[in-house]
Amino acid sequence: MRQQACSSTVIRAAGAIQAIAGATQDISNSRTAPNWRRGFTTYKYTPPPFPATDLLGQTVLTDPDSSIIVGSIDMPHNPHLHPVTHAPPVKPDKGKVDDLAREFLAESQEGLDRVELCLTELEHRPYDTELIAEIFRAVHTIKGTTGFLGLLRLQKLAHVGEALLVELREGRIIVTPPLINGLLAMQDGLRGILNLIAETGTEGERSDDDDRELIALLVSLKTQAAVSPPPASAHDLEAQSPARTSLSSSSASTPSLRIDVDVLNRMMNLVGELVLTRNQLLESKPGQPQFPDLKRRLSNVTTELRESVRQARLQPLWQLFGKFPRIVRDLAHTCGREVRIEFEGQDTRLDKSLLDAIRDPLTHAVRNAVDHGIEPPAERLKAGKPAEGVVRLRASQQGAFVVIEVTDDGAGISTERVLRNATERGLINASQAASMGQREALQMIFVAGFSTAREVTAISGRGVGMDVVRTNVETIGGTVEVESQLGAGTTIRLRIPLTLAIVPALIVGSAGHCFALPRSALTELVYVTHRDMPLSIQSIGSAEVYRLRDTLLPLVRLDQLLGLPASLPNDSATYIAVLEDGTRRFGLVLDTIRTAEEIVVKPLSSILREIGVFSGATMLGNGELALILDASAIAIRAGVRPEPQSTVTGKVELDSAALNTPTQTINAPDAPVVLYESAAAGSHLAQIALPLSAVERIVRIRLSDVEYADGHPVVQYEGTLLALEDHDLLLEAANATTTALVTVLICVRHDPANQPSRVGIVVRRVLGVSDATLLARNPDLGPAQVAMVNQRVATLDPRFCNPVGVPSHSVLQEVA
Amino acid sequence: MTTTTADLLQMCSIRTGDGTFGIDTRQVREVLGPTVSQRVPLAPDYVEGIIPYRGEVLTTISFRALLGLPPHDAPCSMLVLDDAIEGERFGLAVDAIGGVVNVPRNSIEPNPGTLDARGLALFDGVYNTTVGLVAHLDARRLQPSQLANILTTANHGVTQ
Repeated sequence: MRQQACSSTVIRAAGAIQAIAGATQDISNSRTAPNWRRGFTTYKYTPPPFPATDLLGQTVLTDPDSSIIVGSIDMPHNPHLHPVTHAPPVKPDKGKVDDLAREFLAESQEGLDRVELCLTELEHRPYDTELIAEIFRAVHTIKGTTGFLGLLRLQKLAHVGEALLVELREGRIIVTPPLINGLLAMQDGLRGILNLIAETGTEGERSDDDDRELIALLVSLKTQAAVSPPPASAHDLEAQSPARTSLSSSSASTPSLRIDVDVLNRMMNLVGELVLTRNQLLESKPGQPQFPDLKRRLSNVTTELRESVRQARLQPLWQLFGKFPRIVRDLAHTCGREVRIEFEGQDTRLDKSLLDAIRDPLTHAVRNAVDHGIEPPAERLKAGKPAEGVVRLRASQQGAFVVIEVTDDGAGISTERVLRNATERGLINASQAASMGQREALQMIFVAGFSTAREVTAISGRGVGMDVVRTNVETIGGTVEVESQLGAGTTIRLRIPLTLAIVPALIVGSAGHCFALPRSALTELVYVTHRDMPLSIQSIGSAEVYRLRDTLLPLVRLDQLLGLPASLPNDSATYIAVLEDGTRRFGLVLDTIRTAEEIVVKPLSSILREIGVFSGATMLGNGELALILDASAIAIRAGVRPEPQSTVTGKVELDSAALNTPTQTINAPDAPVVLYESAAAGSHLAQIALPLSAVERIVRIRLSDVEYADGHPVVQYEGTLLALEDHDLLLEAANATTTALVTVLICVRHDPANQPSRVGIVVRRVLGVSDATLLARNPDLGPAQVAMVNQRVATLDPRFCNPVGVPSHSVLQEVA
Repeated sequence: MTTTTADLLQMCSIRTGDGTFGIDTRQVREVLGPTVSQRVPLAPDYVEGIIPYRGEVLTTISFRALLGLPPHDAPCSMLVLDDAIEGERFGLAVDAIGGVVNVPRNSIEPNPGTLDARGLALFDGVYNTTVGLVAHLDARRLQPSQLANILTTANHGVTQ
């Protein structure tokens, strides 16, 4: 870490690349006289009497190339980029901080970050002289620089702190909790002044900008021994915690970025090469022999340049994790917990903007782990766990995602309590709660307005929290989930995409148009040949479905959805892209698959975004534009419903009173059913409804494939025998022509012991899938259970109702 | 009477259908030659499509569709408009682009009262120039995000 800090560069993130191009000549003299207090009154270049030590107390000037500073181009009047004659009229502007001061602020903040980290570490390893030395160096550097810049208030505080640290280094005093608290308070004090400078440009001379108390505390600590610190510490922390959070959030998105000088040099070389190639290209003509070569070189240079910029933007996660020891420590003190924090994989790198975006969600998750997760020591000992709880932050790269886990070994989340709480807060009703599985219930913690905290504390319990975590993570294209085991702990898992701008995608064609389908939504690609078409893609009413292994996959034809004239006949070979957006799963019917490409996402204007189906556009290699399809928006537009098992379900409720009153609509949500036509037992043709969830597949089978075992019709299906039920006697009627096809609904039935079994129902014709509203039984109609479907009456298939005719609860539960 | 440059309005003249229109040259960022936009399914009919422009994706507006004229096959000339203040950048597809016309700013005349609601909503007024009557367009009104509002109000006006 230290080495890296040394050989890196501060670049203001805004316009970083332009800055590189613009600042090459200025690198040599960019470290100029720190006359920032006087603003820009002089614009002369003076040789650099810069502080002789950098953050680490090493001499800077001996190795001038190892640390360079590139000015930012968004600075209106950068004295290093403008000659003296350009000097603008200068007002001593209080709100303005020049770039040298900014640089000092950034470096000091980083120094303080390190101090904070070392101090929390020091609490666990009080005799580590290395740590003490590092803290000392950082504070010493701040003191040195402030003295040089004439920041007296800062200097005074840093000086007292330094004096205290000298005593510590010399071993005259020892590490005690009050000492650590005192040093952390000093660190906060310094940070406060730095922030004040960043905001107002001054150290602040108001009456409340007084460090006397703090200095007195530090002095008392120095003469220490038995001097107990003022009982402030605990109260202090409480009082300071809001202030500190505001500090941390103000520094949340630091405007500067450390990058390796090597990476910067490589970028510069590539830019040079790019310019040369451009010049050559401008000189040459397509016919010339060297033209293909130039094209290739341009492509290589571009790829490499893009890659190195991407590299430069990737920042190690320890920059983020570094904050947590202090947060955890303070929080543990306030909540009376004993907590240790552990890190894993903190060298994992993530794009700078994403790093900034997950700062708050991650902090929240860590706070939650300490506050809600870890139990008080006494409780832990009773449960047979060590008194000290562990919060573990684990990061790793998995494909195009970085996965960050926050794990605690605390009490875990009681699903019962979650559900009770959600019900009390009116987020769900009792019957929904009863039908929820454990996993589902846990996800309730991400719903807005939810909190399990027994009482509202300063830190948490206000019911805003995990939903914000989820919202924040989802805005950057990530996901968050929770796992928990009662008594053993909780894990919050954040999946963050590596970068935002470039996504792998599949370029597909439909009706002559070209679209990009992000691969993140794509789970599977199916090619359906012309021959397989009638068997595998079937229509149920106006809806088309594809049977994909064990499930019926609703199909969406992209050309129809977009209102484009179909370019191919419906039965020609097509591709089906199986898309999933978390809750919905459907197949998108496409004409062609062109290529897989890494696309650069470009935003669309608001008017095109409003259409809802496209999330952006991209330029393809051939110069053509392709619109980027948004899988979830397509699902919504096409009316694909969320899969039953992953949604909060509504159920058909039958109350006994309703059962006794004649035909009356029961106040029940609609349940999707498959409708088929039947004329069983020579009666009239009637609509029969089957719960959709009971239907596994709809197949057309050749009559010649139907065999008879002991007089019962069977077919061989997936290696087993499937008994066919043929109430309409269709098999006999069609027997004359063995090439004829019959439609069979393959259904799953549960016997009273809840054992599933399959049965094939031979039907005349499938009418469609619709929502059915159950009607209460009418004694005049006999035992049949009747439902309203599309304003017509349908009888529920008795095979999927319980003996008394009331639909068995399990069946409808699945349906609902 | 002398006119200074400050009083003069520089307009880029545009021909679409039978009409001549003018747009302040300061709102024109670039004039592209004949350009074919890529159509966007489900977009409103006055959206011609999208074109790549300097690494961005620009939405283009069909001026013919705005005027209620049927689309024609010849590739349209494209103006890239950009209101310097805060507006979005977009393309305006027109039949042909003429030269620059200078008119005194104060010579603008109000739209004729007989103009249909659409025209009233789109044009600022009319200049009588050497090349004939020129209806003045304001890029800010033609912004894709504004058009929906303007056209609804215009149509509403018609039904009334």
